[in-house]
Formats: sequence, C-alpha cells, structure tokens
Amino acid sequence: MRDEVLLSVRGLHTWFELRRWGFVRVGHVHAVDGVSFDLHRSEAVAVVGESGSGKSTLAKTILGLHLPTKGEIVFDGRAVHGQEDLRWYRSRVGYVQQDPYGALPPFMNLQRILEEPLAINGITSQEERLRRIRKVLDEVKLTPFDDFLPRFPHMLSGGQQQRLVVARAMILEPKLIVADEPVSMLDASVRVEILQLLRGLQAKHNLSVIYITHDLSTVRYFCERVFVMYGGMIIEQAPVGELLRNPRHPYTQALLAAISDPDPENATRMKEVPPGEPPSLLHPPSGCRFHPRCPAFMQGICEVEVPPDFQPATGHHVACYLYDERRQAIPAASSPA
Amino acid sequence: MPQNGVLSVEDLRLYFRTSKGPVQAVDGVTLRLERGRTVVVVGESGCGKSSLARAILRLLPRNVDTYAGRVWLNGVDVMSLPEERFRREVRWVRLAMVPQAAMNSLNPVVRVGDQVAEPLLVHGRAASPAEALRSAQEIFRQVGVPIDFLNRYPFELSGGMRQRVAIAMALITVPDVVVLDEPTSALDVLTQANIMNVLKAIKRDMGASFILITHDIATSSELADDAAVMYAGQVVEVSRAEQFYREPLHPYSRALMASVPTLRGEKTLGFISGRPPSLLDPPKGCRFADRCPARFSRCSEEPPLLKVGDDRLVKCWLYA
Repeated sequence: MRDEVLLSVRGLHTWFELRRWGFVRVGHVHAVDGVSFDLHRSEAVAVVGESGSGKSTLAKTILGLHLPTKGEIVFDGRAVHGQEDLRWYRSRVGYVQQDPYGALPPFMNLQRILEEPLAINGITSQEERLRRIRKVLDEVKLTPFDDFLPRFPHMLSGGQQQRLVVARAMILEPKLIVADEPVSMLDASVRVEILQLLRGLQAKHNLSVIYITHDLSTVRYFCERVFVMYGGMIIEQAPVGELLRNPRHPYTQALLAAISDPDPENATRMKEVPPGEPPSLLHPPSGCRFHPRCPAFMQGICEVEVPPDFQPATGHHVACYLYDERRQAIPAASSPA
Repeated sequence: MPQNGVLSVEDLRLYFRTSKGPVQAVDGVTLRLERGRTVVVVGESGCGKSSLARAILRLLPRNVDTYAGRVWLNGVDVMSLPEERFRREVRWVRLAMVPQAAMNSLNPVVRVGDQVAEPLLVHGRAASPAEALRSAQEIFRQVGVPIDFLNRYPFELSGGMRQRVAIAMALITVPDVVVLDEPTSALDVLTQANIMNVLKAIKRDMGASFILITHDIATSSELADDAAVMYAGQVVEVSRAEQFYREPLHPYSRALMASVPTLRGEKTLGFISGRPPSLLDPPKGCRFADRCPARFSRCSEEPPLLKVGDDRLVKCWLYA
C-alpha cells in the first residue's frame, strides 16, 4: 500500500501567454517547465522554492485550477483530461490556501462554509451534512461545535481561521491535500500547531500531502521527501534528511546556507550568497537555469543543454552536470563543496 | 536626568482611541541602545512592536489617546521638543526609519536617485541637488546598488534592490539611530541573507546603531547585540544576544524560541496555545499568565522588570 503511486505527474508544462496592448504576443512565461514526479500513498512531500520558482503554479496546476500547456496528471490510475475527469478528481483533492482570511468568504458563517462543498457534491440530507461537519471540526479541534458553527471568519483568530481552511479541505475526505504555504501568514507560535495538525491528519487518514513552501526549516518536521524548484523546474529531489545533510545542487547548497537558525554567532559572520537574481521565466537562460549565478559553472557544458537527472545516491535526484559520472574523468575546476 | 547610550526610551506609552475605548498598543516600554550596537525587538503580530517604532519617531496617526514617556537621543529629551523642531532637527536627521514593506513605499514616478537624495535637500544638508546626488551615489555603493540605478524608476528594480534603496534613503543623512521595521519579511531567503549582509557591513563600516523590529527570531540573530521581547504592549525581557538566543528566561520568550524550527540540530517544536489578551482591557496582573505553564498565585499582580544577573531584565515573578 505504502509504495503505491497515488499521483503521477509527467512532463508538466504550464505556460502563460504574455501579450502587449492586449493582442501582440510577446511570448510565454514558462512558470512550470517540464516537471515529472510520482507521489505515493500516505506520503508527504515538500516543494521548496523562492518566489517566481513556479511552485505555486505547480500547485494550482495539480489542483486543476490551471490547465497544463503540456503534460499529464494521472491520479489513482486515471488520467485527468476533460470536465468529467476534473469533477471526479477535484472531490478527491483538498486545497489549503496561504492566506486563511482571504480564502474564506467573509459573509458566510462557518456552517455555510463547510456545507457548500457537501452541497455541491450532492449530499442533500441535513443530518448527514451536520454529522460530517461535526466530525471534521472535531478533527481540527474547533470545539465546542455549537459555539463555532454560527461564527463568521473575522470572529476567529488567525490560527483558528487556518484550521477552518484545513477543515474545508478535509470535509470531502480527500486522498490528497495540496497545502500552498499554509503557515507563512501565521505567527511563529501558531505555525507549529497547524503543521502538527496537518501531520496528524495525514497519518490518521493515510493522506498524501504536497506541502508548498519557501521555508526549508519547517520541512523536516513535516515531510518525507523534498523537491527543490528553480526557474520552473525541479532541480533536486531527495529524502528530507538526506537533502539537509547532503545537498548536491549548488542552488540547494546556497539556499541552505542562507537560512538562519537562532544563534548569536550569526552576527559575527557574513553569509555566502550567489550573485544575481532568479531567472526571467519569459526568456529563461539556456541550459541549466542556475548557470549565470552558479559558483561551480562549467563553461561549454552548463549553458548548452538542460541537465538531465543524475542519481548520486539512491533516491537522490539532481539536475546538475557536476554529478555526471561520464565527466568525472575531467578534473573538476571547482568541487561541489 | 539624561541617560547614557545613544537612545533611551523610558516608560513610553502610546494608546489609540477607538470606539470601544483606548487600545494600549505600547504600554510602558523602557529600552536602551548603545552606540554602534543593534537592539532587536521581537514579538508576534499585535504585540505593539510597530507602534513602538512609530512612537519613537513620533509618526503618529490621528486617533492618539495617550502619548507619554521620555525618549532621550544623545542625552537630549526629544519627546519634549515641539513638533516643528522635532521635524527639522530630529526626524530623518538624527533618527531615521525603514518602514515595513519599504520597498513598496517608494514613489513610482520619481527616479530612485532623486528619492534617496531628497532628505538631504529637504533638511538643507546639501548645497545643491548635484551634491545631494553625489552623496546618493556614495550611499548606493555602500548598500550595494549599482550606480547606474540612480536614474531608474522603482518598477525597474527587483524587490531586493528596492529594499536596499529604502535602506539607503534612511542612511543618507547619517543618522544616529535607524529603526528597521521588518526589513526582510517580504523577501526571499537569498535576498534576505543579502540584505542582512548589507546591514552588517553598514554597522561595521559606518558604526550605525539600529533598532530592528521583527517577528522572525531566526533572522534577527544575524544582527542582534541585544534582544528585547514584547508581549501585549510591554517589554517582558531584555538580554544580551548571546544569552537570549541560547537561553531565554521569560516563559513567553522560552515558548516562542521553542516554536522556531531549526535547520541544524534536532529539536522538538512547541507552540503556545490560546491567544494574546485584548489590548482594550488587558489583564491586571502578568499579561501572559493565562497562557503560561509556570503561573502561580503571585501572577495576578503585575511583575516589575526584575534584574537577573548583571544585565538581564525579566518581567516575571519567577525571578523575584
């Protein structure tokens, strides 16, 4: 059961057409540009990247909110293509949004918010609806139940709002939850509570979770595997412990080095930061998208072709020519330290 | 009595008038900043840390109910200065600020070089616009913005570059103290690290004194010499950075530190249940008592800032 694939994404591209004055086509923004992965049942993966890396577009494409330009999504053995597939698929996938207050309709009370997905999916019996609402509120610990049902979103604290968003995502008993930065708008002391809640639900219901975040320091407490995105592509994927101990891609190494832990020693040293800015997705750089900023850039190799997947260790994939075994014979100009 | 240190804040209060009564956003804050050092003010949303920044710079909204206390800058009580003198001689001359989301507060139709040079001209610190622009060039070099960006408009710059421009604008008058309100919170990890490097270099090369206001404890350690923790409008702990990040004392600081995930080293995360008290009618005793795992009978009285060791202050009866 554990190793069974729930969601399979193959060669996913989501491009947005960019026009000037409404009709002159300028080009395409390559927000997601060739992403493939398998997600197993009851597995939690984190997709980590900076703003503009395409992680949110990937989440929305997986949710069926953007239609992919190219590529395929296979869920539970069924390819998601037309309207009929989408309807079937969406009732099995839950979405936890980033900004809880923005994601909740301010004019609906808690009961109406939670009833709506049930109504759309044809559960007409009032008794059945209330039973399911009660169950899900109990799971996200918004109790006592009667006290919360008539409340409106603005009457809840930030943490409670986010728990309501989780409840709404859970009410149709999905198999997959896509959580797009679920805690980035919350205070530090509440973040952990929400992450533990999601983790608990995941274990209890054998859920698969895709956790989109820019914050690498939270992934260890939440996920089994990590995908690192840069310029619309997944450039490294590995089990979480392996990635944190042994990051391979120069970008991942830079990202890890840039994150601070609360440590008074930090004030005494400068951080190493690669120069430059994330790439334009309208005209992405040739070859490896990190090559203009990369400290280990190899002329004549990195800028020529997009690096394929190399596997320096079992389960550890990295798209970087430093790990091309055929090139190991060449004395490396700079080692991947 | 003038206080030593470049900036001292004494029993600062800022209450806002609302239809439900006064909100005690800043309630008796006492802080001291020594020259060339950085004091970090950490706290969660709604604890009054941004109001503290505004209170120090006297950037007040209309609905002020109470504004009282003392702010000493280089031994001068600037709170007692009339508004016009404060504006001419203190604000943005001796005391500057990088406001929250500063990178989005630049004027979109003015070239960034002109915006950065403006404080010098307004305060008569430069003889001519050309001289002010030369100073702007110099400050751009220090914050790491290419000189040819002087002629660009804000929309032509990335977020990190705009943030540097905002920092340059605060530094151009060479103020005694710069208040940084969440200078990196809207930025990406790599950009954040870059901005922190810039601030560290400025601190080292120009001897600048900073008050860094943030909710991000991990990043705050990059710049901190001293740390102050705010909760419900009050400072509950003041410590040297080396002690604070290793072993905070106040139960709230401890719980807050325990909720910060770390990348290096194993740690069990905790969280604080409940929510902070309303600042409309805060509890009489310790404001954290309701959520505190260590509360006892005495917590129904308000604790003073108690001295622990040589230089730590904690507002908690556990240390009486």
